[in-house]
Amino acid sequence: MSDEVFLKLEGIKKSFGGVHALKGVDLEIRKGEIHCLAGENGCGKSTLIKAISGVHDADEGSIWIDGEKVEKMKPMDAINRGIQVIYQDFAVFPNLTVAENIALNGELKNKQKFVNWKSIHEIAAKAMAQVGADIDPDVKLERLSVANKQMVAICRAIINDAKLLILDEPTTALTAREVDKLWDIVRSLKAKGIAIMIVNHKLDEIYRIADRLTILRNGAYVSSGPISEYDQARFTRDMTGHDVSEDKYHPEEQKEEILRVENLSRKGAFENVSFTLHKGDVLGLTGLLGSGRGEIGEALFGIAPAESGKIVLNGKEITIKSVADAIANDIGYVPEDRLTQGLFMDRSIQDNTIASSIRRYMKGGRLDEQAMEDVTRRWIDEIGIVAPSPKPAVRTLSGGNAQKVVIAKWLNTEPKLFILDGPTVGVDIGAKAEIHAILHDLAQRGIGIIVISDDLPELVQNCNKIVVMRDGKVAASIDNSIDERSLSDLLIGAEKQEGDKK
Amino acid sequence: MITTKNQKLKMALTSTPMILIYVMVVFCLIAAIRQPAFISPATAINLGRAGIFTMCFAICEMVVIISGGIDVSFPAIGCVAMYVPMYMYYHEMLPDNAVVFFLLSMFIGLVFGILNGVLVSYLRLPPLIATLATSSIASGGLVMALGTREFTTLPPSLQSLYEINMITYMDPATGFTYPLTVLFLVPVILCVVMALVLRYTMLGRGLYAIGGDQNAARIAGFNVRRLQFFSYIFCGVMTGATALIYTTLMHSSTTTAIMGEEMIIIAACVVGGCRLTGGHGGVGGTVLGVLLITLVQNNLNMLGIPTCWQTFAVGLVLLLGAIMTSIQAKRQAKLGKV
Amino acid sequence: MSGKEARLKKTGRGLPVIGRDSHVLSIIGLMILVCIIMMLLKPESYFTGLNLRSMIFQFPEYGVLALGMMACMIAGGIDLSLVGIMNLTGVLAALIVKNTIIIENGVVTNPGMVVPIIVLACVVAVVVGGACGAFNGFIIGYFGLPAMLVTLCGLQLYTGLAYGITGGPAINGMCDAFKNIANGTIPGIGIPWVLLIFIAVLAVVVFIMKCTVFGHEIYFLGSNAQAAMYSGINTMRVTVMTYMFSGILGGISGILITSHLNSAKSSNGSTYTLLSLLIVVLGGVHPDGGRGRVIGVVLAVLLLQMIANAFGVMYLDDNAKTFANGCLLVAALVLSVVMDKRAAKKAAAQS
Repeated sequence: MSDEVFLKLEGIKKSFGGVHALKGVDLEIRKGEIHCLAGENGCGKSTLIKAISGVHDADEGSIWIDGEKVEKMKPMDAINRGIQVIYQDFAVFPNLTVAENIALNGELKNKQKFVNWKSIHEIAAKAMAQVGADIDPDVKLERLSVANKQMVAICRAIINDAKLLILDEPTTALTAREVDKLWDIVRSLKAKGIAIMIVNHKLDEIYRIADRLTILRNGAYVSSGPISEYDQARFTRDMTGHDVSEDKYHPEEQKEEILRVENLSRKGAFENVSFTLHKGDVLGLTGLLGSGRGEIGEALFGIAPAESGKIVLNGKEITIKSVADAIANDIGYVPEDRLTQGLFMDRSIQDNTIASSIRRYMKGGRLDEQAMEDVTRRWIDEIGIVAPSPKPAVRTLSGGNAQKVVIAKWLNTEPKLFILDGPTVGVDIGAKAEIHAILHDLAQRGIGIIVISDDLPELVQNCNKIVVMRDGKVAASIDNSIDERSLSDLLIGAEKQEGDKK
Repeated sequence: MITTKNQKLKMALTSTPMILIYVMVVFCLIAAIRQPAFISPATAINLGRAGIFTMCFAICEMVVIISGGIDVSFPAIGCVAMYVPMYMYYHEMLPDNAVVFFLLSMFIGLVFGILNGVLVSYLRLPPLIATLATSSIASGGLVMALGTREFTTLPPSLQSLYEINMITYMDPATGFTYPLTVLFLVPVILCVVMALVLRYTMLGRGLYAIGGDQNAARIAGFNVRRLQFFSYIFCGVMTGATALIYTTLMHSSTTTAIMGEEMIIIAACVVGGCRLTGGHGGVGGTVLGVLLITLVQNNLNMLGIPTCWQTFAVGLVLLLGAIMTSIQAKRQAKLGKV
Repeated sequence: MSGKEARLKKTGRGLPVIGRDSHVLSIIGLMILVCIIMMLLKPESYFTGLNLRSMIFQFPEYGVLALGMMACMIAGGIDLSLVGIMNLTGVLAALIVKNTIIIENGVVTNPGMVVPIIVLACVVAVVVGGACGAFNGFIIGYFGLPAMLVTLCGLQLYTGLAYGITGGPAINGMCDAFKNIANGTIPGIGIPWVLLIFIAVLAVVVFIMKCTVFGHEIYFLGSNAQAAMYSGINTMRVTVMTYMFSGILGGISGILITSHLNSAKSSNGSTYTLLSLLIVVLGGVHPDGGRGRVIGVVLAVLLLQMIANAFGVMYLDDNAKTFANGCLLVAALVLSVVMDKRAAKKAAAQS
């Protein structure tokens, strides 16, 4: 790592229709360093990336690349200066082959009119050799795993003589092993003198890979420095604006059992999973991607039912083979992807709220419009959805409010068991706390709550029991006296890894 | 997942093109058993003749479908393109020159292609509805402006074009002659050229790219609008030329001659492996699709199906073809990720 | 009830039917425009009882089709097979009536059988229409194929069935009672039966879309099929039911057109596919699904009939109408795209 600065931003401001997405951001990235950009959701990380890659034009502020001030940067300018962005969806072509995906953009950039398949294969082979990838170049991309798609995107980025590679949340969809491999590649690129900026907000991952760190909050620059200057307390403080809260959720011990899962298995997803949930419990279910944490939620809700095992809800053994079974047994489920799985964006708050309980409002052969409106108003008040009336489309709501609508939809079915996958993803801090308060309240009222999440601070604070999944098996069942670092070690099975190294 | 050689072979043998070939072979066998005369060069020549314009239209449609769109306006555009030159010739507004006729037809196709292109790529209207609108503008406007007549005699220049044959086969048993027109070369050349364009030019790869993922194509630097625009213009121009070939071969030019053909053509593409969501398909598959459809359409009576049930039978074949593509896609997905 | 609450209720609801929907208002504006133009051009033949009567006898058959198209499009699909279903059911109904009500020398020989047979023909048409639609829905839902492709195949299949059954030529000359369904009026009052039928169908459709679980599920499915699945809605069942609903409307339309023309064949009403699409889009149903209202579609039906008759009294033929419809469809689409963009801009400015 040298101290030579490759990219420097000063006082970058950007607003959209009166909303200040960036309120004066400074950033410095040195040649050959791994720099992490961290911040809560909605802090302006993605807007900043777009300003760097020339997609957005900053309203104010200046950008220097390699010591040269750049005005009015266009996407092609950024690429020509060696800035490559790998977006979360990778922007690859599912219907084209690996080789083509790697080489096509470069050919296009060189204004080629014809396609020389031999050279495309050569370019692809060279790029793959550089990052140590081993993928059949003639396979269509739609058949690749997420990790391999990402690999293709990285290959494509580096063939164009990249000097700065920006990875937007690169680990969200990767399994532990895939993350390790990614970090190896990132380190080897760093050794070649390529600067790398990683957008991430998971502390444990940042410690493992980054040299330096910049933190944003609410569109503003907070702090920047070598990773060694940050301990967990400072990191959390800088990210959220307040100190780590120590009041963890501690319900009174209760004997009444709500849910018991015994030896639940589904081939290829999870096996012999058992846990128990008592009245008042908020059970956290965690693990890395591919550990089976999400799949258990899907099994309990009947989307991908378990093949064997026993589910006992309120003392009664139930079988769940479909979503209809789950709903008949009063199970609610907030899916991981709110936008595509949870909400009807163009429909009103009212329609969303009653979507799963609409059959209750049939009265005398027709739907009781008034009752539906009243119940929606009740939920708006009760869980604090910020909306003038039940009528506006959900599209007009913020992330936190929209998530509350999804929660209201299920609460309106009066569930006995409520499963939430990533309940606070993309939700701002205020709404996050409110959602947690709602969950605690529900748990106290005797509804079984399962929170599936990889947000460790959230789990430690809000769940009184935590089930850690690893490779489809329960790795540990613990209470929340654990701290985040030890929990993180449990997640990746750190003891074992360290043992291997020794 | 390890794909062994055996598995690969199994996949290849059960791929969509192979299934199409099996179906055609079975069809021909049954037809041959029922009517031994079926197996003769005459059948091949008839098939070739019947497939000429279906093939051309299918290639046009295929290009649009690959780019992620759809064009249901080409029958109407084709009717305009075949009717206007004949009308003008018989009203002595055009000289008798085959080149002039073809240029005019292609120009008409171009105009409507531009209209489709503007509606879809610049105004971002849903392609199906936009081209349906173009279709009614074209067919309604044509009759409104020029009335409905039927031209059944060709101008001498087209007549002489019609009489140029490549091969003439005489059936020794019946003494009938089966000529294969030189116009058969048009779809052949078109197929070869388009296969090369789609595989070896940035234009062709761009069409696949925008059909696969428009957003990714934009980020990569493809000019999405221009590529979409190209697909509709190509479709329009080639439709114009093909329509006049139709007139030449069928000795007929009316305002509704090929209306309703869109169904068969789109289905031929889908059966041949084009996905309506875009980005998939190719010349090879489409040729097989057209062959199958032409075979079925023209030889159902060989299987003993009465003429009045042929529409239904063709519909059934199309539906089964569509279902097969869905099953194939599911099978692909089942193979797992690598 | 306090004054404030009362006021809230009033403004919140708006006018009970029209609401504060800019789309509906613009259709009404266009209707007024047509009236004004005709007032200037040909008031003497446009604003007559005769013209009004001719309008009422024409729009129900494609109005019913458009309602079916609307349901499918709101559910995020499209039904291009409606005309095929219409002709198939029309042919079946005509066959039943023609073969069982025997006319000799212009006199029905079995008068007692007339009403039951016509009822039977109608029931068969509706059931077959529903079955065809359910078949469409099943293929779409089970195989996950695009609705456009499946219903195009359906069009070919059902048209082919009708063609196969008739063998080609049209079935003509049904008894007067059957003809009267679409051509007769209620004795004494002079209101056409067909208007009553349309209003009845409309009432049922409005009720289903607005006041039943199924109607709401159609909207949910069109708005976000995946979220519908995650909300516990059986998307397969809703898909099948939606297309079945559409098919039933196709069957009703088949009876109306067969009775109206007193003739049934496989190629009647070939322009109705485009026409019903035009009506639905013009009526404010979003081509991507999830959005649209029955009132808009009904007004669009009336608007198009007004335009059609305007063309009629000006002695312009059907092709001029087709041409105009095409232009109108483009205009309606462009307008909705522009409106969408403006709404998106407004939303971006607000958030």
